[in-house]
Order: sequence, then C-alpha cells, then structure tokens
Amino acid sequence: MLKRIPVSPVLVLVVLAGLLAACASLGGGLELPVSHPSAADLGEKPVSCTNCHDSADGPIRFERFVHGPYWGESHRQAAYQQDRVCAMCHQTSFCNDCHATRVELKPSLKDQTGTRRRMPHRGDYLSRHRIDGRVDPTSCFRCHGNPKAARTCAPCHG
Amino acid sequence: MSVRCCLAKAAPLCALVLLLFVPGPAQAVELRIQSDTIVRGFERDPGTGTDEAVIPGYEYLQADVGSLSEAGLSFHFYGWGRADLADNGFYSDTTAGEILYGYLQYRDSATGLQARLGRQYLFAGVSNEAVDGLSLAADLGPLFFLSLYGGQPVGLDSTGGRDGDSIYGGRLAVHVADWGDVGFSYKNIDNDSDTAEQMAGIDLSLYLPGGISLFGNSVRNLETDGWAEHSWELQYDMGAWRLRPLVSMFEYSDYFGTGANAVNPFRFLAASGEKITVYGADLTRRGEVWTLGGKVRAYSYDQAGDNAYYAVLASWHGEEDTELGGELGFMDGDTDRQGYGQARLYAYVGGLRGRCWVDFVSGDLVYYWYDQSIYGEDASFFVSFGTGRTFLDGALQLKVSGDYSSDPYFDDDVRGLFTLTYAYDHGQ
Repeated sequence: MLKRIPVSPVLVLVVLAGLLAACASLGGGLELPVSHPSAADLGEKPVSCTNCHDSADGPIRFERFVHGPYWGESHRQAAYQQDRVCAMCHQTSFCNDCHATRVELKPSLKDQTGTRRRMPHRGDYLSRHRIDGRVDPTSCFRCHGNPKAARTCAPCHG
Repeated sequence: MSVRCCLAKAAPLCALVLLLFVPGPAQAVELRIQSDTIVRGFERDPGTGTDEAVIPGYEYLQADVGSLSEAGLSFHFYGWGRADLADNGFYSDTTAGEILYGYLQYRDSATGLQARLGRQYLFAGVSNEAVDGLSLAADLGPLFFLSLYGGQPVGLDSTGGRDGDSIYGGRLAVHVADWGDVGFSYKNIDNDSDTAEQMAGIDLSLYLPGGISLFGNSVRNLETDGWAEHSWELQYDMGAWRLRPLVSMFEYSDYFGTGANAVNPFRFLAASGEKITVYGADLTRRGEVWTLGGKVRAYSYDQAGDNAYYAVLASWHGEEDTELGGELGFMDGDTDRQGYGQARLYAYVGGLRGRCWVDFVSGDLVYYWYDQSIYGEDASFFVSFGTGRTFLDGALQLKVSGDYSSDPYFDDDVRGLFTLTYAYDHGQ
C-alpha cells in the first residue's frame, strides 16, 4: 500500500516560485512602473487618467480606470482583474479603509472631512442598512463576509 | 503536518529563495511612515443605565521601508490600535486593534516578478482575502499573467484557532492581443482541517471598437456545486459621457454558502434559497467643471417583492480641490418597509491658506425619509462640518470635525473627531 506523503502548500508555492521566475524571465509582459509619479513630480495633481494617457493605446486601457462619480461602486471588476494598475497610485492601506479583516471606524468617519468622496455609509447608515441589507445583501458580504469582519454585525445579528 | 508547522519550517526557505533573487548592488533604502492619530468623542450608555462620555483614541500606523521607488526588496506594514480614553467599559467586548498587513516584498524589474511574504491583502479573481503566507505574481511572456498564494486565512483565526486552517489559490490571465484579458481563478479555504470554501471563477475584459467594452465575472461555488454570481457590464464611452448597462445574478445558497466563513446574517441568507437579479445602468458625464450622473437599478427576486432604485447627482469643481455637489435618490419597493428617499448636499472649499488660518472647510447634509417608520421615526437628519490645516510643509495635518444626527436610533447625537496625520518620507 502506498503511503501518502504530506506536502506543504508553502513548499509547493516555493517550487512554483522557481518555475514562475524562470517563466517570467522570458520577458515580454506588461512592464509597469512601481509607482505613478506624484503630484509634486508632475507639477499638478492628476485628476483623470485620460487627461495625460491616450485612452486606447498601449497595454493599459486607461479609460477603464477613470474615476467617475460612481467609481466607488463600480471599481470591483477592474481591481480583481488588474490590481497592479491600482497599485501604482494606491497602496493597499487605501483599500483597507473598506476591505479589511477588521476595521472599527467606517470609511466616512475615518475621513469625515473628505466630503467629496461618495462613501456608502455616510450619515445615518445604521437605519438605512436595514433596507439596503434586505434589498441587496451581496454588497454587504464583500466587506463583512468573514467571521472577523462580521463582528460589526454580530452585536445585533448574533 | 499542520499548516502552522509547515509555515514555520518553510519560512527560512522562502527567505532564502527571496534573497537569491535579490540583485547584487545594494538598493537605496527609503523610509516612509504615516501616522494617523484619531480621537473621537460622543455619548453612549456603556451598560450603566446612564449616558457617559465615550472617548476612543485610534492610531493607524503605516510604514514602508526599503526599495520603494524602484524594484527591489522592501517591507510594508499597516495596522491600527484603539485605547479607551474614558475607560468606562464601552469597548470591553471588542478587539482593540489589528495588523492589517505586514509583509516583505521583492520586485524584480527584469522579469516583473513580485513576491510577498507575511500578512497581506489580496485582490485577484475570486480572491478578496487577508492571508498570512506567500504570494507570487509575474507575467509569463507576452501572453500570460499568473498570480499564486498560499498560507493561512486571517479572517478565520477566531474560529477554533489556526490549527488546520489554510488558504491557497491564484489567477491565470490570458492576454488576447489588444482585445483584452480572460482570467481563470481559484481559491480553497480550510478551517480546522475541513473545507470551508472552494470557489472558481472566470473573468473577462474585452475592448471592442467604437469605445465599447465588456467586463464581467462568473463565480462557481465548488462546494455547493452551483453558480454563486454572474456580474457583467458593458461600458460605452463617448467623449466625457459614459453609459454603463449591467446585470448581476446571485444565488444565495451558493454565494453566501461559504462554510465557516458564512457567519450571520449571511449564514441565514444562505439557507433562504433566494435568488436575486439586478439590472440597470449608470450614465455619467465627467467634465472639467461639472460632473453629472444618474443611475437606475431594478432588483428582482425569486421570493421577495421587487425593488428599484433611481438616483441623480451633480457636482461643480472649482480651484484648489473646491467641490460643491448634491445627490437625490429613491428606493422604491413593493412593500413600504423596502422604500426610502435620500438627499445629500456637500461642500469642500480648499485653497483658503492666506485668507484665513485654515486650509479648507468641508461639510455635508444628509436627509433620509423612510416609507415605513423605524422605531416610530419617519426620517433621519445628519449634518457634518470639518476644517483642517497643514504644518511643516505639509508633513503634519490637523483636522477637526463634528457631526449631528437625529435619527431612529438617536434623538440628538453630537460627535466630535480630531485627526492628526504625520507623514515622514526619507529617501529618493
């Protein structure tokens, strides 16, 4: 009878790292800079990607990343598919204001003076979440959908 | 062999592998630190039967050190902690802090390889996870991009400890010339050695002629053997205008049925057998001076009554980040308990330095009215006001704000907020 040899997932990843490095050395991929030039470097604050970048030229389709007024509700697909583009301007800490294992201050409170940002929980969300949660609970699940993040819900929902 | 044991034994090996990738010449060491110290003040009953002052003090600390402006080795940390300055027991039952991430990163400029070891937050395909472990990502030639990760899920460390907990997954993207990408992703989460969640997904970004694009993803729950989600949208750009029709479908038993991850209220929803289809569109215009927007959503269910949401917004942009705007929205349900209206006006006036002591003032006013009263109240009123000023050439920022709310939960609620942000940047 063959004995099953335990294989560490991490060890598998380390082996895959070698393979990945070898394959990556083939080159020819999307060569993105580590970070986008800052407002100080540019001499002005970047407002919209397509102000400077041709929208449909090159490997990045910049028009997709233009932050329109509903970007807060519509950025999910872009982030899941090309988080490397997001990372040129935003560190993960920016994302963690909303998407995190456990944060206590809701985003609209942590940046209360940032009234220009359309934050989903601004104002009396405690009352409104009763309705929004019934209408579309899938949007709640994306940020509160694990035991640690759901501690916000636990005092009332058990 | 437990995963924790594997991690402990494999960590030095991982570090060795990472060090092998480090190029010979020493990288310039940069250091960036950002500290946000936040103090809130409000009144609540901490369980004594009378309202008392509650004064939590928060520290959000972010540190990045190493080769930050270019490829190389670096370390990144972000976390928060809270002190109960009033010390009256209001926060006795909740966590007082969290390390959100803390990882060693290596980026290779020649190959585009990115390796991270430690606690990190991942967004890729079906993954939206905090992981203690290793992640790797790289372009594989001009056609493929591969990202992989493995370790322990941070979100499950409170459910039966961490023994037997593991998470692994990844995403393979295929570039289709100038047309876009097709992505295939997978994740598996074990809790206490039992499978808690197993998802696979396909995502697409397709750029068509004429300013039309198609984006979307479909997710299959391999544990329940059903489709959890289909979310697809078109995007049509015409100058400053953008039209975005969309449709999403969610099967609650497959979307919320995520084993140990499915805590209440989501566990309850997974057992409801409900399905929801959301369809609608956004129409926006982003101009130099005016931004306009409108959105429509229709929510259709298998069991519950239907809902619809309509909203419009407009904002005016001036010099120095100044912006004035407003939004009006209506949720219209088959039953009164599903309906409300909302109106919001906001202002942010920047560039005040030189004219007065502060750099900016901001404020907003939000009014909700409910079709069915909540705790006997038909409406909520919320107003906030804030201001701030920078010092030390912008390295130090002081912000003070306050808000007032009269709503179904609190008759007259006044809260204050003080934020001190310090940013240190040393290096290139």
